[in-house]
Amino acid sequence: MEIFYAIMAGTLYGLVIGIIPSAGATTGLVAMFGFIGWFASFDPYLGVIFVMAVVASSTTGDSFSGVLLGIPGANSAAATMVDGFPLALQGKATYALTAAITTSTVNGLLWGTLTFALLPWYSNLIMIFGIPELWAFVMLALATVGFVSSKYWVRSIIAICIGCFIGLIGMDPETAADRYTGGWDYLADSVQIMPFVAGLFAVPEIIKGLVSATTVAKMETSQKGQTWDGVKAVWENKWDGLRGGFIGAFIGFLPGLGGAMSDWMAYGATTAANPNEKIPFGQGNIKGVIGPEGSNNAQKATSMIPTVLFGIPGASFAAIVMALFMYLDFELGTPDLVYDDKFFSSLFIGFMGATIAVCIICLVFTRWIALITYVPYWIYGPLLLIFVTWACVQYTGGWEDYAIFALCSILGLAAKHLKFSRPAMLIGFILADRIESLSLQMSSLYTIDKLLDRPIFLGLCVAVIGMFVYGVFFNKNKLDYS
Amino acid sequence: MKNFIISVITTLVFATSAFADVTLVVPQKPGAGTSVWAQIIAIELQKFLPEETVTIKHIPGARGTPGFDEFHNELQYNDDVIMVSNGSNALSFLADDVDYDYRDYESIGLMNLNIITGRLVGTDMSDVKMHSYGGRQPEVMAMAMLICGPSVDPVQCFNDNINWIPGFSQGEGRLAFKRGELNVTRENPAAFKKHIQPTVDSGQAEVWFTHGILQADGSHADDPNYPGLQFEILYKEIWGKKPCGDFYDAYVLAKSFRDGLQKALWIRKDNPNRDKIVAAMTAMANDPESVANIQEKVGNYEWLIGDDGDTHLDTLMTFITADALKTLIDFTVNSLGLQAIYKEDLLK
Repeated sequence: MEIFYAIMAGTLYGLVIGIIPSAGATTGLVAMFGFIGWFASFDPYLGVIFVMAVVASSTTGDSFSGVLLGIPGANSAAATMVDGFPLALQGKATYALTAAITTSTVNGLLWGTLTFALLPWYSNLIMIFGIPELWAFVMLALATVGFVSSKYWVRSIIAICIGCFIGLIGMDPETAADRYTGGWDYLADSVQIMPFVAGLFAVPEIIKGLVSATTVAKMETSQKGQTWDGVKAVWENKWDGLRGGFIGAFIGFLPGLGGAMSDWMAYGATTAANPNEKIPFGQGNIKGVIGPEGSNNAQKATSMIPTVLFGIPGASFAAIVMALFMYLDFELGTPDLVYDDKFFSSLFIGFMGATIAVCIICLVFTRWIALITYVPYWIYGPLLLIFVTWACVQYTGGWEDYAIFALCSILGLAAKHLKFSRPAMLIGFILADRIESLSLQMSSLYTIDKLLDRPIFLGLCVAVIGMFVYGVFFNKNKLDYS
Repeated sequence: MKNFIISVITTLVFATSAFADVTLVVPQKPGAGTSVWAQIIAIELQKFLPEETVTIKHIPGARGTPGFDEFHNELQYNDDVIMVSNGSNALSFLADDVDYDYRDYESIGLMNLNIITGRLVGTDMSDVKMHSYGGRQPEVMAMAMLICGPSVDPVQCFNDNINWIPGFSQGEGRLAFKRGELNVTRENPAAFKKHIQPTVDSGQAEVWFTHGILQADGSHADDPNYPGLQFEILYKEIWGKKPCGDFYDAYVLAKSFRDGLQKALWIRKDNPNRDKIVAAMTAMANDPESVANIQEKVGNYEWLIGDDGDTHLDTLMTFITADALKTLIDFTVNSLGLQAIYKEDLLK
């Protein structure tokens, strides 16, 4: 029964957060730092279920504000908005939402099963991946996020460097001496992930919501029969949905990518596969909703493969999930979890349970849920800000927490304004320790000759070089991804 | 903008924390090992302090020092504050620039445990690979003595045969050990059983030695779960004589403090609540349900409560001699490359 409550609580929390314009999974997960400690002392596995339920349901929920208001709940609904919002303007909001939710659910169940049910089997990979392979995999994560995910690759590289520098503040692992703290003892235990993530992602989005809030209602005409039409549309355009799911799954598996990129790729693939449409894309073509919505839940599921197995986040939301699991005493990327069947079951139950629950809730209550988007942003925007701030000052509760949170918020606002990739900055921050530690480990334990005998390591190094060449010379990506 | 300002002010009000009736001060962030331990103890202790509210306050910081220093300089004068310390604090007490001093406090309760070192079967003893995460001086010191024996300078033996590799977390170290990239590991009994015993059972690894459990007379008892593998016993069996010398004394000093104060609760010496809290701790340690709950989460360790804890600390302090301390600091700084200082006032 506790598992059921955890799924339902996580589903409702994720759904509400997902629906709120400009919030999304990242903000919802950041706010969880304020109460994740309760799960740690009560039952950490319930915490895992709750977290996964939030991930799954917020992804589905963010379609609402994108379709109804033209404001995506998170990056993952931005592509959906292109055709979803025009459909809503035409009085077909329920039709678009039903199609989005159904596609998202089908692909979530498909790729969730392939990911979580088989994750214990994939875990054999961590015995094959040694220190050099992990080092190269980390480099691949940085290369993909730096050179591929954004059109501003130079800014992405700078963002990674800034993230890495902030991530290295704290203690030198070789000497146990303080490093880059400027004599401020508070920083000797490193910059905490909560204020960094909240400042980087949540605050800029909340402020954006407060500045550009709108309350225009789009469900004015009769929605009768649209639910069934939406489900039928998914069946009729199943290949677009499945293609989107495949793209999302592939991008999710690559460390450091995910989010908007997979959705836009899925959208692009859908438009390319359907060149002669009666209703042009961008003017309310349902295929433009089904394609990207097929991608987002699949991407969330497969992002967990590199995150769980190697401790290398598959996407920015996964970096926060990783930190939350650390609070629950689950260190991802270590053998402790390989033998922990209950952990894998919790991932599976949380994600799949919420995917099903959120689908049922959304399909049955679409019209009423949509009312949330009519609530003026100035009502829940400050509430969100309070909650996120509260989560950020749980470290010591002192003025230092507020100061760091404020500095990180300024950094986030500046990065967003200047179009420096914030996911790249976060990945750099999260992986800084690992880059340093894996480099130390590799240089201590391996010689060049030994490294040249490792084909996976060499293959990954070639992939890193390939990413560099592609990013610098051939990347036509139009996403600013800031 | 007005809404924004209101929300920030409200947040400031909400986030102001106050001390409850009994507060356990933890020098780590939520979720870390000692924090989880303290949460479990707080839940169980609450049952035996029904008229009080037991809560936890985290004061995190590098190596657990800022939190313990704040207790020493300020919080200990609040009669309702109990300090929670761990093995890292004990090593920092010996070798770091810290304000806190165990001699100024009374022990409420502490857990005394053994540490087990394992190795891969067939490990080349001239190429031992051990990761340096979290206060592992006692392990490498024991290894140096066991590998080379009494005729070779243990420091030289360490330099020649043991690779001390930085950059691993505890979990990464376990993984590297299982993959064979490292060939030695060490764990507390519960973690060894959970993480390493399967490798031992499969014939890939074996228990190398244990430090033993500190006794009131200052000796270290053999662990019945791993008989004959306690360091002093094993050393004598291999080399035919008991270990001795400054390096050995430094080893005993480090292992006794770290393992003997692995998890401990402290209050100010003349704290009027002392008897009440000790009575609650005693009741908790004798309650089968509480014991089962604690064991389920953190393993089965020996509890020393009230006066027994103070006696235990007295025993520990007898290990601090000028030569042992200097040798420990020299080895830590010059061989391990870690930051450490010699503190003469520990000898007083």
